[in-house]
Amino acid sequence: MLDPRYAWLRRLIALGLVLALWEGAGRAGWLNPLFAPSPSKVWVALVDLFADGRIWPHLEATFSAALGGLALGIVVGVLLGVAAALIPLVAELLEPVMSVLNAIPRVILAPLFVIWLGIGIASKIALSFILVAVLIFFTVFAGIRQVDRKLVERVVTLGGGRLALVRHVYLPSVAAWVLGNLKVAVGFAFTGACVGEFVAATHGLGYLLSFAQSTYNAALMFALILLILVVVMLIFAIAGRLERRLLRWN
Amino acid sequence: MIGLQQPLSGTVETTLGQAEIGLLFQDDALLPWKTARDNVVLGLTLNGMERGKALVEADTWLDRLGLAGFGDRFPRHLSGGQRKRVALAQVLARRPKLILMDEPFASLDAIVRSRVIRDVVALVEQGGISVLLVTHDLEEALTLSDDVYLLSQGPRARITQHYHVPIPRPRDPVHSRTHPAFAPLHEQLWADLSRAVDHRAEAA
Repeated sequence: MLDPRYAWLRRLIALGLVLALWEGAGRAGWLNPLFAPSPSKVWVALVDLFADGRIWPHLEATFSAALGGLALGIVVGVLLGVAAALIPLVAELLEPVMSVLNAIPRVILAPLFVIWLGIGIASKIALSFILVAVLIFFTVFAGIRQVDRKLVERVVTLGGGRLALVRHVYLPSVAAWVLGNLKVAVGFAFTGACVGEFVAATHGLGYLLSFAQSTYNAALMFALILLILVVVMLIFAIAGRLERRLLRWN
Repeated sequence: MIGLQQPLSGTVETTLGQAEIGLLFQDDALLPWKTARDNVVLGLTLNGMERGKALVEADTWLDRLGLAGFGDRFPRHLSGGQRKRVALAQVLARRPKLILMDEPFASLDAIVRSRVIRDVVALVEQGGISVLLVTHDLEEALTLSDDVYLLSQGPRARITQHYHVPIPRPRDPVHSRTHPAFAPLHEQLWADLSRAVDHRAEAA
């Protein structure tokens, strides 16, 4: 029987073994470094990025675009979701548009945003925004429509009016649904920023990835993928903490 | 009666305002994101009480219902009986003149149910509160009520029988079962109900 307390240790050992095998295969010449550079070469590329400081403007660009799109997407998604759930006309007008946006892979809008907003940060924020806003819209819209009727009746029988319902039932419910989807939204926001940078940019991790691809620099590509992975996992951890703290009643 | 549903025809006449009527559901219907104390406070502040005073009042009622020290817990972290007591505190703290109860004890297990019922009876008798209780449990109906009305099957349910329960107050719900009036009334109620069910089955 596996002791669940040491699952992390077993995973760490497994990862170490995979990396050791990969490194060994690379040094033995079994892997073409053009396609699969050894972990030590990836590490060197990663250290180089930080050593000469050239990574910081790129990190800043990606973070600004992702977090800007995330914040804007949450605000607009919540506002539209609440409006659609409470005002039938808004739902009638918005639902088809949002459904179409939800059905298509929204990253295909990236070139359009570049034409409209240029290759600067605005087009990346726009792509992150559209990815997040549609997700949050449906979360809030469906959430409010499925709010527990018993809670609504309880507040009404306690003498609460429309304002009390919004404050004590709908808003906390919306907060719970948004926080429950925060990790997915963070992932979407970084996807939007990186894909936007990949399409056309002068800065950002997506731009660096595109550069590494065009120069066949696989070590840099792996280093960047690793960096994005670590960054997103860090933000996931922060979002998870926030979710646990704010949803401690759940 | 409390205005959650509008009548298709006819009117409901009452001299009581909505604030004077409390409602206890089968489900406790506590707001899950509010602590036990804040759930009780909500009932008071929505009634116009200032929050500071409502907090003191809420703690008093939680204490009276045996929940001292549980005020900071969220409903999910309370047992079924404790949640029911919080819901009861929420209703009683508003000092209602009438409480409408819709099978409020159905979801509780036997021991917890018996204890909650004992507390409800004591508090309702002390407060001189009228209660309209809807239940499928004949024993519960007889041990808690002064008058029992048998309703026909809905829709358009009507009162078909009325029984007066002469068990004196204050009552102990457990010992009420040993009162001489209990067994004959229970038998009568059971027979009338069985007849109504058989009649319905034949009609179907």
